[in-house]
Amino acid sequence: MLRISGGRVYDPANGIQGEVKDICIADGRIVNDVQGAAVRTIPASGMVVFPGGVDVHTHVAGAALNFARGMTPENHRAAAKFIHSPLLRAGTGGITPTTFATGYLYAGMGYTTVNEAAVPILSARHTHEELRDTPIVDKSSCVLMANNEILLDLFEEGETERARDVLAWLIWAAKGYGVKAVNPGGVAAWKWGKDAKVLSDPVHGYGKVTPAIIIAQLAAIVDHLRLPHPLHIHCNNLGVPGNVSTTLETMRVLEGHRAHMAHLQFHAYGGDDWTTLRSEAAAVAEYFNAHPNLTADAGAILFGNSVTITADGPWQHLLYQLTGRKWGNLDVENETGCGIVPYVYKGSNVVNAVQWAVGLELLLLIDDPWRIFLTTDHPNGACFWRYPEVIHLLMDASFRRECLRKLPSRALKRIVLPDVDREYTLSEIATITSAGPARALGMPRKGHLGPGADADVTIYNESPDRGLMFRHPRYVLKGGEVVVEEGDIRKVVDGRELIVRPAYDENIEEYLRPLFEQYYTVAFENYPVEQERLEGADIRELG
Amino acid sequence: MGGKVTCTLGEVKNRADLIIYWGGNPADCHPLHFSRYTLNAKGKHVPQGRKGRTMVLVDVRETPSVRFSDIFLQVRPGKDFEVVTTLRALLKNRPVDEARVAETGLTLEQLQNLVDRMKNARFGVLFFGMGLTMTRGKHMNSAAVLTLVAELNAFTKFVSMPMRGHGNVTGADVVMRWTTGFPFGVNLSRGYPRFNPGEFSTIDVLVRGDNDAALILGADPGATMPQPAIDHLARIPTIVLDPKLTHTSRLARVHITTATTGISAPGTAYRMDEIPLPLKPILKSPYPTDEEVIRRIYEKVKVKPAWSPAAYAKVPCA
Ligand SMILES: [Zn+2]
Repeated sequence: MLRISGGRVYDPANGIQGEVKDICIADGRIVNDVQGAAVRTIPASGMVVFPGGVDVHTHVAGAALNFARGMTPENHRAAAKFIHSPLLRAGTGGITPTTFATGYLYAGMGYTTVNEAAVPILSARHTHEELRDTPIVDKSSCVLMANNEILLDLFEEGETERARDVLAWLIWAAKGYGVKAVNPGGVAAWKWGKDAKVLSDPVHGYGKVTPAIIIAQLAAIVDHLRLPHPLHIHCNNLGVPGNVSTTLETMRVLEGHRAHMAHLQFHAYGGDDWTTLRSEAAAVAEYFNAHPNLTADAGAILFGNSVTITADGPWQHLLYQLTGRKWGNLDVENETGCGIVPYVYKGSNVVNAVQWAVGLELLLLIDDPWRIFLTTDHPNGACFWRYPEVIHLLMDASFRRECLRKLPSRALKRIVLPDVDREYTLSEIATITSAGPARALGMPRKGHLGPGADADVTIYNESPDRGLMFRHPRYVLKGGEVVVEEGDIRKVVDGRELIVRPAYDENIEEYLRPLFEQYYTVAFENYPVEQERLEGADIRELG
Repeated sequence: MGGKVTCTLGEVKNRADLIIYWGGNPADCHPLHFSRYTLNAKGKHVPQGRKGRTMVLVDVRETPSVRFSDIFLQVRPGKDFEVVTTLRALLKNRPVDEARVAETGLTLEQLQNLVDRMKNARFGVLFFGMGLTMTRGKHMNSAAVLTLVAELNAFTKFVSMPMRGHGNVTGADVVMRWTTGFPFGVNLSRGYPRFNPGEFSTIDVLVRGDNDAALILGADPGATMPQPAIDHLARIPTIVLDPKLTHTSRLARVHITTATTGISAPGTAYRMDEIPLPLKPILKSPYPTDEEVIRRIYEKVKVKPAWSPAAYAKVPCA
């Protein structure tokens, strides 16, 4: 039992905004009160108490990220080293940290739950093996569906009901949590070297199915199955000048459904080409503010090294042609693909400068912090361990202006950030880093400090230097255990996996089996991830 | 350029109309490859199977794979890099020196024909084997092939895949990457992973005699490595875990017989395209699994005071 005493508590989900109050913990959960001699007290007066961070969109495990690790040994050499000790496993930090290092780095920053945003079903077993080796944090994952050819074929034939059973079966086969759509139809087209750029055009190889149909169908199925997390969508035309029209059209297609717009920064550009690229964050924010069915994460970029990893194969080929650097591509039979291109964002580059501004603009112009969340689409825009830099930029307008002065003047004409004075409050930071993403993920025990919540708590020394404050929490608790103290990992606990089991008609297997034998190269029986592999998973059955 | 443009084997099965094998003999070394994944498989977009595909074989000698191929290109030994480079030049319509092309054992017409086939394929795949990666040029050859395939994507869909060897080599590579960041040749002696192929790869460590013990799992270096490496293994305490007695077992101090993974021990194997397959045991074995033996060794080792640079740092200098 534990009492965090006298801290200033920010618990936006429960309407608590900086009140001095005690937080009590028993059996890994928050409780109203604890008493007796066995209670350990953490004195927290003068400190700030947040619910543990929740990352709604990150890439920390699985075939694509592991492909990237293998492709960039030169990055690991420069990266932080994790030295083996009786408590810790060895590893490498940097841009694509190894699994154990990922757990230590997230926990060290006060994050206790992460959502791996792109899992191919065919290699989901691999993803779960990595997640098991990612300690401390709890983990959920989104399963890639918008280019699954069995589903696309069903949409083509108008077989909505059967598609619903297939999708539900696939989530359970992957032991996933949510549904991810990446460049709907575009990755399927990429299998023939094509893309899907217009939402209303049939996908290459199909007669009727368009990206718009895929988006609408998936969103409807996700709502119908009452999945805790809405359709998680990476729009078509990511990263391309002028893509704002596609993004707005996607949001219009989603009217009437819940949806989460991933890494919105990469989808809010105007202009006709790279030389005229400009921010359209204001237009996106205006539409978004008026449509409460939507949530989004920022996908902010920060200057420096990154590796772009996405299921968006055609975009990665374009980026390879632009950079002439390394290019990895891995198409996954019948389901998805992924591309990997190392990239350096430079403050002196006009395009990169605009991108940097767009991420911040979206965070500042979208007025409801419950609907826009802090991410960098790790490792695409920047590494997750740089989140405190973004927090600093959001909370301190004068620091922002200082950074703006360093940008090329041509970039300043293409952004609106210089005119934005808003500064985030601590309560708003707690919302975009924890309470909001937990609610969007549909995790009732995460992101708050009310009785019954998982005792995932982060305690900061208050400091006017917000970057410093959020980089080095004083204590981090996971499930009631103190895992980080003064910047050191003190205890390594296992993180749990969060999994959803939607209801489906069992007969769907008889429909799927012959398709598998025709189109796949693994046996149908070997496709689903065995439940026994996921020790201690938290499985939510949906009726 | 670095990196790799690749896919899972089902993509080849469902789409490939041009299949190139370079420096390998799949008919003997990967006997199920043709029927399951490539030539003879009927795929979603290649319903006619073999008739819908063209197979090109590039090798320095005639092997049993030749009779499966539509086109056989016999390269003079050690000239693979020159051939790939010529193909890259032709792809970009750059001039090439016909006399130098002739040194490769192939003609300009043959290579131009191959380039045309590659550009006009709907979906092309290039599998490359040890005949390319372990001969003159080695990793330069692999890099050249990977680059050629990446560049072909400006014209059509093209992928490449190395033909990995036996056992679960790919699995070891995958797990090493997620635990250390590097695929092989990792040195943990400083307490954190360091990578330097040519310095920390097994053969180099053994030949230099850097290590004073060896634990061998799922491999038989005694049969395949150069003699100085084998000599060193015989000199030091070498422990072998294997279901059968291997060449290495004979020179080892200790051989522990373990259950055969996939037959009597469960686990995961990664296919050459990195798809993880579950291994489901069908028989019981009197022998322990590799995992169990390692775990028991580790329990004993753990009793000794932990070695870690961090722990050492706290010991005052004597
Ligand atoms: Zn992403």
